Amino acid sequence: MRKSEAYPVLFLTFVVLVAVVVLTLTNSITRDKIALAKKQAVAEMLSALFPNMDSFTYDDKTGTYTILADKTTIGYAFTAEGRGYGGPIDILIGLKPDNKTLQGIRIISQQETPGLGAKIVEASFLDQFSGISVDQVKLARNGGKIDAITGATISSTAVVKGVRNAIEQRLGKGGTG
Amino acid sequence: MSSFWKNLTKGIVKSNPTFILMLGLCPTLAVSTSLDNAVGMTAAFVVVLVLSNIIVSAIRNYVPDRVRIPVFIVIIATLVSVVDLMMQGFMPALSKSLGIYIPLIVVNCIILGRAEAFARRNGILDSIADGLGIGIGFGVAIFLISFIRELLGTGKLELFGFKLFSIPGLDQNPAAIFLFPMGAFLVIGLLLALFRQLGVSKYE
Repeated sequence: MRKSEAYPVLFLTFVVLVAVVVLTLTNSITRDKIALAKKQAVAEMLSALFPNMDSFTYDDKTGTYTILADKTTIGYAFTAEGRGYGGPIDILIGLKPDNKTLQGIRIISQQETPGLGAKIVEASFLDQFSGISVDQVKLARNGGKIDAITGATISSTAVVKGVRNAIEQRLGKGGTG
Repeated sequence: MSSFWKNLTKGIVKSNPTFILMLGLCPTLAVSTSLDNAVGMTAAFVVVLVLSNIIVSAIRNYVPDRVRIPVFIVIIATLVSVVDLMMQGFMPALSKSLGIYIPLIVVNCIILGRAEAFARRNGILDSIADGLGIGIGFGVAIFLISFIRELLGTGKLELFGFKLFSIPGLDQNPAAIFLFPMGAFLVIGLLLALFRQLGVSKYE
């Protein structure tokens, strides 16, 4: 059997079949847990943006989270994407109920240069977005309220543009200028 | 000296995977920008390498020579996927900090290299020792590189949010070049030269 011409083919087929079984099993064990963990991660990020949050609802069509406290809406949240230096930057944007003021933003995922662009996840950069109006989401040199990170203009611009574009798209072009 | 101990220690200096065998340089260049990355990558890497060595060693007498490389690749790819899924499912916090390194392990040729050069010719215990030793050697190398790159590139050192220390002046105007691939090549090249000059490259 071991000397047969077919043995290598059969062995490789066997190994691949075992791999398929192992992966299928692992996937079925972990699928629900991974989905749950992702939901929890979103919930944690939302409650970091809206400390008073009691609960939230999610609308699949618009991709908007409505944040509730005492059954009244205290804000909306949705995701945006910026084009960074190292790849896409996923951003979570929190808006106050007036749809014109930012509650704040958080970075969901990014691949910017550590020590430079990756500073966009730090509070000193993110806090600049809290409480400003949509019109003010520009870099300071363009008349806005956001100071770019030294040496990481591309990453800073990516976040600013991603946030602006997402909000403008959401409100419809020309809504707030 | 028992063969277990010998196989474990040889990977750290004498056949250090990065500086002597010069394997897996691509992922090393990519992730060696901070100490956090170095620790995370090493942890994930050691787990996969030891498991891969165990499996390859266990089936070594049944693997036909002609298809051994595809067999090893299937084993490694499966292992990496399983570790990735398990971490996402059961340790989401750990997965969040290590998650990006796991898929990188699959392209780390050290693992295939050890399967081919060691595990398929040696027993399970020795293969575990080899995996641990090479894993530690990889850790030492990537830690050294990250140490220099983070220190010069940002002017300070941090480990999981704790500030270890900073160089006054340099932390305001860091030599950011060390965070870029160019700086990685410079640092790796100089460390390689140093390792060789110290005469630890007796490995043939």
